[in-house]
Amino acid sequence: MTLQEIQPGESCIVRQVYANNLRKRIIDMGLITGTKIYVKKTAPLGDPIEIIVRGYSLTLRKAEARTILVDRIEG
Amino acid sequence: MNIALIGNPNCGKTTLYNELTGSNQSVGNWPGVTVEKKSGKLKSENIQANIVDLPGIYSLSTISLEEEVAANYVCKKEMDLIINIVDASNLERNLFLTFQLLDGDFPMIIALNAMDIVEKKQEKINFEELSNLVGVPVIPISASKKQGIDKLIEAIENVDITKGHKPIRYNKDIEETIQKFENQIHDRFIAIRFFEDGLKALDNIKLNRLETKEVLSIYHDDHKKFDLDFDMVLPNARYEKILEFVQKTHIKSAVTKESQTDRIDKILTHKVFGLPIFGVIMFTVFFLAFGPIGTFITNQFVWVINKFFTLIIDGVASLGMASYISSLITNGIFGGLAAVVGFLPQLAILFFALAILEDSGYMARAAFIMDRLLRRFGLSGKSFIPMLIGFGCTVPAITSTRTLDSDHDRKITTMIVPFVSCGAKAPIYGVFAGALFGGGSFLVVFSMYILGLLVAILSAVLFKKTIFKGAKANYIMELPEYRMPTFRNTMRHTWERSKEFLVKAGTILLAAFIIIWFFSYFGVVDGTFRLLTEEEIGHSLLGSIGRFILPILKPIGFTDWQAAVAMLTGFIAKESVVGTLGILYGINGDVIQNGTLLYQSIQAHFTHAQAYAFMVFALLSTPCIAAVSAMWKELKSWKWFVFIIAYEMIIAYLVALMIYQLASIPIGTILTYVLTGIILIFVFFMVRKWIRNKGSACGGDCEHCSQTSGCNLTQYIKYKEILDESKRGDEDGK
Repeated sequence: MTLQEIQPGESCIVRQVYANNLRKRIIDMGLITGTKIYVKKTAPLGDPIEIIVRGYSLTLRKAEARTILVDRIEG
Repeated sequence: MNIALIGNPNCGKTTLYNELTGSNQSVGNWPGVTVEKKSGKLKSENIQANIVDLPGIYSLSTISLEEEVAANYVCKKEMDLIINIVDASNLERNLFLTFQLLDGDFPMIIALNAMDIVEKKQEKINFEELSNLVGVPVIPISASKKQGIDKLIEAIENVDITKGHKPIRYNKDIEETIQKFENQIHDRFIAIRFFEDGLKALDNIKLNRLETKEVLSIYHDDHKKFDLDFDMVLPNARYEKILEFVQKTHIKSAVTKESQTDRIDKILTHKVFGLPIFGVIMFTVFFLAFGPIGTFITNQFVWVINKFFTLIIDGVASLGMASYISSLITNGIFGGLAAVVGFLPQLAILFFALAILEDSGYMARAAFIMDRLLRRFGLSGKSFIPMLIGFGCTVPAITSTRTLDSDHDRKITTMIVPFVSCGAKAPIYGVFAGALFGGGSFLVVFSMYILGLLVAILSAVLFKKTIFKGAKANYIMELPEYRMPTFRNTMRHTWERSKEFLVKAGTILLAAFIIIWFFSYFGVVDGTFRLLTEEEIGHSLLGSIGRFILPILKPIGFTDWQAAVAMLTGFIAKESVVGTLGILYGINGDVIQNGTLLYQSIQAHFTHAQAYAFMVFALLSTPCIAAVSAMWKELKSWKWFVFIIAYEMIIAYLVALMIYQLASIPIGTILTYVLTGIILIFVFFMVRKWIRNKGSACGGDCEHCSQTSGCNLTQYIKYKEILDESKRGDEDGK
């Protein structure tokens, strides 16, 4: 499944990053295979989404979230 | 000695810079406050050193122009010592850049900032242990509380810049590949950059053809060696090491409670209330600056300025100098200055309000909220800030586009910001609407703002569809924690922006006003070229130019040369349009201060349609010379510069022509209102429909995409394949 499918309040672990022109930046910001992500919320207009990764808050569009492959986990 | 300050965006670099140099740069809680490199002298009695404040970067692999400034500075090794500022409250992510820097062998000191926040959270960081692990000095500081600065300066004084540190070592496979690259590139740091960032890393060095070929073939061969994607190998190794280090040094508190930022964000970015609250905040900003309070302050300020200038002018007149000198001083210089300075209070209020939003951290949320909307027009949420500032003044708005991530985004935003109605255009609407439209004048003025915004957005869509085809506005942004804006910093911020406006606009405008003065007070009367009096302004050079271009402007409703000349002076400064009209129609008294003086002349010279077309042309045509020079500075290319100036002239002419011609055909003034209203609504809905159908940016959702060619999502296709494969695998497993 992709990061886009993870609902606010749920957590997941990154399996692979395919995000196109922001791929390098997403990796450098710490989203690497095995990283835990907590999806915090979506913006009032439904997009972008806010995630907590490595203890800080990052926002990215669903378009990019869709290209990040993840596994849902509990807690 | 050159000392470079390097760190993540919004980690406190500029605050530390101010402490180290004793200077007064403003600081924001909005990633990207430092858009250019600044340098200053270190406050030290023992050594001479130059501190360079660079834009914040997350990584040496850059995606925006301002980031490149910082990364190139490091990669070209222009500094003797690096001070790497690390936000201790966000240790993991900040250490990534630290590790990239540690790949090089340059002397380095780590300034562990925001220690006060760490303590407040009842956490501890063992900085001595961290220093042992990374092999460079680590100094705990709190830049905002001014703690540890002396220790840092002491460390700088004692550092031996001739000796580097031991570079970080990775596991065997990675080291092997790095060694292979290093054999060709002869520099471990650049070799690692190449490993991570590909060919972009080789921009700053020279390789011969054989070496280049060899390097590429290694790149190709070693690809298969790793389980991870090649460009993920190093970041992964780094983050593993970082986690190890953090676990050894960072003692977290046992209790985790909801942070203040979380609580504030629950309201400010709330699903339902987030948008209305955003609307209210923006309205408040505008109400403060352009509402009754702002107008009141401006009027008082203008009154004082005028009194002051009158004193000077009277003084000059009594000195008995040559007539052209006193005319230059009174009409040229002080006339111009009054126009600029009088505009300052409203701008200062706007800057003040924006500074509070910026320092508190709300600006990042605004971009977060607005992104969805602006994406429809091919822009990113961050473009919202320049457009907002554009309502105040185009010059700082264009400068602020540098925080945008992609070059296309920056160009497009720079080119559309001038259409947003800036504060200097307001007096034009005020006088014209007040004179002719009576009770409906509020609507007329409002329609100007809407029209400007509409043309800006339409232009963005147009550029995106034509010249910047395929360009995608990026959005990825960190949300900083909320901070209480400090009075000192907010004032500093406001002052700095206001000063920038005054200096930039003031110097250019002053020169322009002198030129304008020459053109309007000199001319040929009865065969002799001489200084003219106020009443003879019709004979001036400017008058001749106005008469000359009048035929071109006739189709859009210009009937007399006075209007044409006023419009011409608008290119110097939009605020001078009204003033020039006052002079040309021979009105005694200050029309800028008291617009009603002009009402009679405007009623005599303009019909409703002509007035409306005049306002539209003033709104959309090429902005003032200060904004034009700012655009030139950002676009940095003759091609784009000439294009956008021509584009603005043509658009202004076409829209004014359309409105004037349409409004002139039917009979009354009522139809003018109705027609323009309908046109605006019609265009709006057409555009909305069109954008809904086509304008959304590619999100990699191939199934619902109508575009068959020009898709560059090869990685997505690869990903789809793997996805399908894994699905099939799952089914087989069942």
